[in-house]
Amino acid sequence: MKELRAARLYLFGAPIWDWLGLLPFLAFVLLFLVIPSANLFAGAFVNRTGVFTLENIVVFGNPFVLRSYLVSLQVSLVTALVGGVFGFLVAYAITLGRAPGWMRGVIMTFSGLAANFGGVPLAFAFIATLGRTGFLTALLKGICFPAGESEVCPFNPYDYGFNLYSVTGLVMTYTYFQFPLMVLIITPALEGLRTEWREACESLGGSQLHYWRDVAFPVMMPSLLGAMLLLFSNAFGAYATAQALTGGSIPLVTILIGQQIRGDVLNNPHEGYALALGMVVVMALTVWGYAVLQRRTTEWLRR
Amino acid sequence: MAQVTLPTQRRRSWRFWAIFWGVAAMLYFFVPLYGTLDFSLRMKRGEISLLAYEIVFADPRFWEGFRYSAIMALVTIVVSALIFVPTVYWMHLKLPQARPVVELVTILPFIIPGVVYVFGLIRTYSRPPLQLTLQPFTTDILIVAGYVVLSMPYMFRAVDVGMRSIDVRTLTEAAQSLGASRLQLLVQVILPNIRVAVLGGGLICFATVMGELVLASFLVRPALGPYMQLLGLAKAYEPAALAIISFALTWLSLGALQLLGRGNVPQQMAGR
Amino acid sequence: MAYLELKHVRKVFGETVAVEDFTLDIQQGEFVSFLGSSGCGKTTTLRMIAGFELPTSGTITLNGRDVTFTPPNRRNVGMVFQSYALFPNMTVAQNVGYGLRVAGKPKAEIDQRVREMLALIQMEKFAARYPSQLSGGQQQRVALARALAIRPQVLLLDEPLSALDAKIRVELRQEIRRIQQELRITAIYVTHDQEEALSLSDRVVVMSQGRIEQVGTPTEIYNNPASEFVARFIGHINLLPVHLVSVSADHLSVRFGSCMLRVVQPEFSPNGAAPMLAIRPETIRLGTGSDQDNRLVGRVESVTYLGAVIRLQVHVEGHSLSVDVLNERTLSLPRQGEDCPLHFSPRACWLMPSANT
Ligand SMILES: Nc1ncnc2c1ncn2[C@@H]1O[C@H](COP(=O)(O)OP(=O)(O)OP(=O)(O)O)[C@@H](O)[C@H]1O
Ligand SMILES: [Mg+2]
Repeated sequence: MKELRAARLYLFGAPIWDWLGLLPFLAFVLLFLVIPSANLFAGAFVNRTGVFTLENIVVFGNPFVLRSYLVSLQVSLVTALVGGVFGFLVAYAITLGRAPGWMRGVIMTFSGLAANFGGVPLAFAFIATLGRTGFLTALLKGICFPAGESEVCPFNPYDYGFNLYSVTGLVMTYTYFQFPLMVLIITPALEGLRTEWREACESLGGSQLHYWRDVAFPVMMPSLLGAMLLLFSNAFGAYATAQALTGGSIPLVTILIGQQIRGDVLNNPHEGYALALGMVVVMALTVWGYAVLQRRTTEWLRR
Repeated sequence: MAQVTLPTQRRRSWRFWAIFWGVAAMLYFFVPLYGTLDFSLRMKRGEISLLAYEIVFADPRFWEGFRYSAIMALVTIVVSALIFVPTVYWMHLKLPQARPVVELVTILPFIIPGVVYVFGLIRTYSRPPLQLTLQPFTTDILIVAGYVVLSMPYMFRAVDVGMRSIDVRTLTEAAQSLGASRLQLLVQVILPNIRVAVLGGGLICFATVMGELVLASFLVRPALGPYMQLLGLAKAYEPAALAIISFALTWLSLGALQLLGRGNVPQQMAGR
Repeated sequence: MAYLELKHVRKVFGETVAVEDFTLDIQQGEFVSFLGSSGCGKTTTLRMIAGFELPTSGTITLNGRDVTFTPPNRRNVGMVFQSYALFPNMTVAQNVGYGLRVAGKPKAEIDQRVREMLALIQMEKFAARYPSQLSGGQQQRVALARALAIRPQVLLLDEPLSALDAKIRVELRQEIRRIQQELRITAIYVTHDQEEALSLSDRVVVMSQGRIEQVGTPTEIYNNPASEFVARFIGHINLLPVHLVSVSADHLSVRFGSCMLRVVQPEFSPNGAAPMLAIRPETIRLGTGSDQDNRLVGRVESVTYLGAVIRLQVHVEGHSLSVDVLNERTLSLPRQGEDCPLHFSPRACWLMPSANT
């Protein structure tokens, strides 16, 4: 038996032979995930003649590109925050806030639905509701008062600078799937808060503020951080909704990349690679930041 | 005493805010839905009609898109299952130390934005030496591969959870002691036991593919996503009808998922 | 005036009356247990003292101050929960020092107090651990230290030991008593374990269906139960239907079936109802005894080993009587089906009015 063992080759404690079982999976991943990504990565660091260069970084000096990154980051942060705060309040309302039971049922069901309702149809739904001739716009426009000769219709939102096909509209649309996602993630965390913790805190002289600051939020921190990461990456990578909503008029990075795929708008494919790589870098930084925060705030979870 | 009512009052005002935010959430859910429904029914001036739906359902390109996407979705599910069931089985049985690697790889599509991934995929396979975009059939192969990658996080998780709920080692040993081959074992013993999990993952794959826009549109294949987008550019009422139809589809998929007995709804599945 | 006073406290939840007309005075430094079966309102009463529930009516006074409606965070009451309720995100030291931190005490004072408290519960070595790294018993000690760190006016414990296993339970309850004595703190202890209540308390409050059945020292509760409920609830007891035959200067005579029994009970006053003769199983002995004793003969129905004692069920005059015998190695017991003589002292038994006739 001993010789047999010695005759085999081991890799990380398992016979080499066993690792071959992962071969189909790894081959697939290599072909359709690693090579395309590596290609992108490599493409960002060579010039047209295939020589290594860092000059593609100049793409980030292009005001269009810079602006698209800023808008993308802004939209992602704002929708993550708006969706996160709104979702948190809703989750609080249906758990600790003791909203009626039927409300909880409806909201949980619809959160599952809305968090999964995205892409082109979502854009259509918002256009039909809040577009120039949309249902809600028409409803608001219909509220008119007679004033002398003419009528005054003070509620047309488009007269007041509202525009669905803008960043504001995009934020409102993204919120439709962002806040339900937050509800889905945070509800279990809120339910995990034990009443005894609140009571223990109170009996030790703590106020509501103390409880939330010192116990509830720290305990929920892993879920909160995870939720924010998911919400951010969700909005940052979103393409279909924005494309269908604005037809590409809002300069998001994803939209710009889409244009680059279709027709090389940057005139230099390698700058296009750099542009796309930038998104991966942003995501990697975000995940890294998440991991650091997670490590710092959850010391108590590790044994 | 004024103090007497204080705590009760506080409780009541909490409840007011709870109801306030609950109602706000429900409005956010229902107003766009109702607005879209209402809008989709007003194609004929001055009356409620199903005209927009009739037009959509009479459009051969809608059915073409639907058929194409549905077929792609089914192929994606089969390929995903063929890749993940044996891999996850093997990982559970022989290679628990491979878990971190496999988990990291399957989570990558979350970190790499979809458009970026598709960009890399298209640029890699639209030129020699591995040019797949010349013929429709090879393009479809590329599309299926892309879909498998995009739905990888969900499929892996579903199969992994399913595999965790059965005792892989005991089942394997029992089947082998009865003389089953590895293939028989996988098909006749393991698969039936994780059927529900695979079906759940499959449903998520299905929803992902049906709503996907980027891949199909850049590879110019007649899928549902690009069709919807084009319709949105040209028409007003039909897109609203389409939105309602896809909402109903989402509802059906989720309902089916719940019927499968996975009480928890997946956090997200549609392409953005 | 007593330190903690509850006057006619009543609590109603919707339809259920959880606590009814609860009046109790507790002295400073006293250890009082609330004992009763599940759902009798012990927790509710305790939570009203802590301020987590408001009484429907009645008043609660603590140290001369009416605290009936004072919010819990201004009562300065320490609470120990059945489920420990340690804050999982704080270390042992942070948990223990939390009340002082909230009160804005300087860091040096907090550290000093935390050290004292950890020494008191003998857990100095665990200061930097998180609750998830402690055993249940250790967690409950920390919870106790945390509640005591703020020098509470009253310490409230709601079944603090019921989530622990039997051995630790006994250890920890002695420790709780030791600490209570050391700090001379007023403590209220809720339990449905009578052994715990009897062994720990200065006084025991027996509750049933939201009402107080009896308040007394453990000895009073055990030896002089005020009602049939208390008699049956605490320990094991034989209650035999008897007829009062005569009352003389130094004893009462009763008839039990065909036997005449004597009862020495100077405080007895007949009130017409048919009385019951109460006798604890451990006061009945095997054998014929002396002339002074009450004597019975019965047939052994069963013999059960309980460890320290052996319980016999003996059929006497149409009734089944429990008899506890101390387990000795050389003991020769009657077998099942055999006849055996029993005796007990007239001072060991007493008459009490029958509840349900
Ligand atoms: N928040 C509440 N709402 C409604 N009814 C309640 C509430 N809290 C307690 N009750 C009811 O009041 C009664 C007394 O409950 P309490 O918790 O005080 O019992 P307990 O003596 O502590 O029992 P246990 O030994 O099981 O802990 C029970 O009938 C219970 O159902
Ligand atoms: Mg209780």
